[in-house]
Amino acid sequence: MSGPGDEGPVASRRALLGGAAGLIGAAGAAAVSNAPARAATPKSQIEPFWGPNQAGIVTPAQTHSYFAAFDLATTKREDVVALLRAWTDAAAKLTAGQGLEAQTADPAAPGADSGETLGLPPSRLTLTFGFGAGLFTKDGADRYGLAKLRPEALIDLPRFNGDQLIVERTGGDLSVQACADDPQVAFHAVRQLSRLADGVAHIRWAQPGFIGGYGAGETPRNLMGFKDGTMNPLISDPKLMKQFVWVGDDGGWMRGGSYLIARPIRIALEHWDRMKVSFQEQTFGRQKASGAALGKTHEFEALDLDAVDKDGNPVVPENAHARLGAPATNDGAQVLRRSYSYDNGLSFVAERWPPWRQGMEFDAGLLFLCYQRDPRTGFVKIFENMAKFDMLNQFATHIGGGLFACPGGAAKGEFIGQRLLLTA
Amino acid sequence: MRSVKSFSELAAAAIASLAIASAAHAAPQGYLETIHKHSTLGSTVTENGDLNPYAVVVAPVSAGKILKDDVLVDNFNNISNLQGTGATIVDYNPTTRQTKLFAQVPQKLAQCPGGVGLSTAMTMLKSGWIIVGSTPSTDGTTATKGDGCVLVLDPNGKLVATWSGPTINDPWGNMAVIDNGATATLFISMAGFGIPGPDVTDPATGYPVIVRKATVLRLELSIPDGKPPALLSQTVVGDGFAQRADRDNFLFGPTGLALGKDGALYVTDGLDNVITAIPDAVTRTASAGTGRVVTQGSLLAWPLAMAWTPEGHLLVCNGKNGQLVEVDPASGKQIYAQWIDSDQAQSPPGNGDLFGLAMTPDGTGFYYVEDDVNTLVKASR
Repeated sequence: MSGPGDEGPVASRRALLGGAAGLIGAAGAAAVSNAPARAATPKSQIEPFWGPNQAGIVTPAQTHSYFAAFDLATTKREDVVALLRAWTDAAAKLTAGQGLEAQTADPAAPGADSGETLGLPPSRLTLTFGFGAGLFTKDGADRYGLAKLRPEALIDLPRFNGDQLIVERTGGDLSVQACADDPQVAFHAVRQLSRLADGVAHIRWAQPGFIGGYGAGETPRNLMGFKDGTMNPLISDPKLMKQFVWVGDDGGWMRGGSYLIARPIRIALEHWDRMKVSFQEQTFGRQKASGAALGKTHEFEALDLDAVDKDGNPVVPENAHARLGAPATNDGAQVLRRSYSYDNGLSFVAERWPPWRQGMEFDAGLLFLCYQRDPRTGFVKIFENMAKFDMLNQFATHIGGGLFACPGGAAKGEFIGQRLLLTA
Repeated sequence: MRSVKSFSELAAAAIASLAIASAAHAAPQGYLETIHKHSTLGSTVTENGDLNPYAVVVAPVSAGKILKDDVLVDNFNNISNLQGTGATIVDYNPTTRQTKLFAQVPQKLAQCPGGVGLSTAMTMLKSGWIIVGSTPSTDGTTATKGDGCVLVLDPNGKLVATWSGPTINDPWGNMAVIDNGATATLFISMAGFGIPGPDVTDPATGYPVIVRKATVLRLELSIPDGKPPALLSQTVVGDGFAQRADRDNFLFGPTGLALGKDGALYVTDGLDNVITAIPDAVTRTASAGTGRVVTQGSLLAWPLAMAWTPEGHLLVCNGKNGQLVEVDPASGKQIYAQWIDSDQAQSPPGNGDLFGLAMTPDGTGFYYVEDDVNTLVKASR
């Protein structure tokens, strides 16, 4: 097993520029681990791009992400097809650690690749593509003749209590989730895709994210200092993934795909930092240090939602985050969370609770990402209740995001979304 | 914050200890010791994201979209979270337990200087008209406050009249009302006169400067059959109340008003942490200044809205700590307090969470709002 610092044979992008197919296969294994979080893997490792499912969903989380949503500007379906074909080809190269530069670049022309990953390893880059409702209908118009193929599960998300969605950070016709163990690699990928979209789609909103460098099998901590993802279904368990994450054979063109909810959630860190640790633990329903549920000792011990103290009050408070999110509270509903913390520096903020602080605050929080077989029985079911009653809502505000249908993966020679775009 | 059930129970424990400390094995001293249950009725956030619930009014009649005993709540902030920008009123029906949008006033109104930010000054008349104050800002502080206005809405939520002028400056606290059907008398505190922004501080204290220009205004209305109320006359019955800007609480000033059977108008002023009484408030033709001190300090902590118990005691919301204080105005005695909002997300717990307050029609409980979680809560026996 590789540990941190054990980089193995480094596949640098410089070396791969001419195409180094041999390395791709060699490093393409072990996409799934038992770890609830990311595995400590060498940056030289390549996550396979081609396959029945898109990578970046049950892939052990990389340390960095760059999420972007695009609006389609074209009115022609063939432009969309060409874009997705170009993105697919580019993604196959980028995830394999190759740049997009031609072998003999013309110095008198702009480079085909911006070049900032030259010399960097593939860093387990994954690119995961999704389709927003706007691909099917936008402002009542069926721009590409796809309206009839919009899956029922690709709903218009309801407004949730406390939502303060900023239009400029909400929605999008296409989504790209880039994840890598190097922030520059993740950003580079989206930068190239954005450039390839020129004239056909324009970038609408984007959010970079990060996870601390925790060891294999360790649940990462979010910016509130708590472990985040303890109750995630195991990505190493295909049965669970089939049950909760992947769209089944009845999903038409979406089979093998998954629905992504992406929501930047601003966290009032200054407010949170003023709270007593015991109150923070009540809010989460977990102990801060160990991650164990209140009343328990170990992180992965099951929540005991029925436990009461000597006065008869629940040990895990009724409105604790962990209780409200637990499958037992939600008729067994589960989603696969794959979130990243974010830090956008500072911005002027007016908080939405007494004492109504306003001023320059950390513009930081969580880029909440979760995958599910159907958002109606996943995120929407779970969050409807949490949005009203979760104690954490006094510190967290959803400020944007969207729902995206991420189709199944592509086989070599296909492009992502082909089953939708070419069969309609 | 009643939505946090475990906290309700903590609060209940606090109630018990506070009440029993002074009332152990004795005859009931007041009303609060009969109150044991606190139930969250629903969210007061509207579809457009308005939040920070302020006024709580129980409908005296059925009219238009409103059914008798419905609870009306207005919002002081819009989705920007800035105070003085909210423009919606919701209607909670106790039978269906549904909360619906009742009215959405335009946030910018030419007739309302500074725009609309709905305050705790709200009432519904027996004739069905809803009267509500606006204390507006554009940046959530008094630096951009306007003089505001008093808005009149029909029972379908339609704006029908706007009152503004030199006597009206940020109608702020909960109203006291005499409603005779064809005529009515309203008492409204005007808290905005002469308040600068929160950055204008007093070097001696470091806090925003204190001014003492706030008034309590009596408005006489006639309500012709089927027509909106007309403003007949205005009289300043109290003035010189302390005010100052506050970044967290927007402003401090006279807030709670309650008219006693003795004709005295009781007034809370958070800054002086006091309840005063203006004698002969219904008939007087000149200002009584700030009136006679009824009680000051002790359990009071920035007193806000007030309501009468059936026994003639005053229930007073504390702005600073989420407690409700019961006062016997005859003796000026503070009987005890109940910690009805003990949310630890503020310090002290419940700080800034309470504002509006109204008794249930049968007097066995009361409604209040929790600004921290934007909910309407009912306290009962």
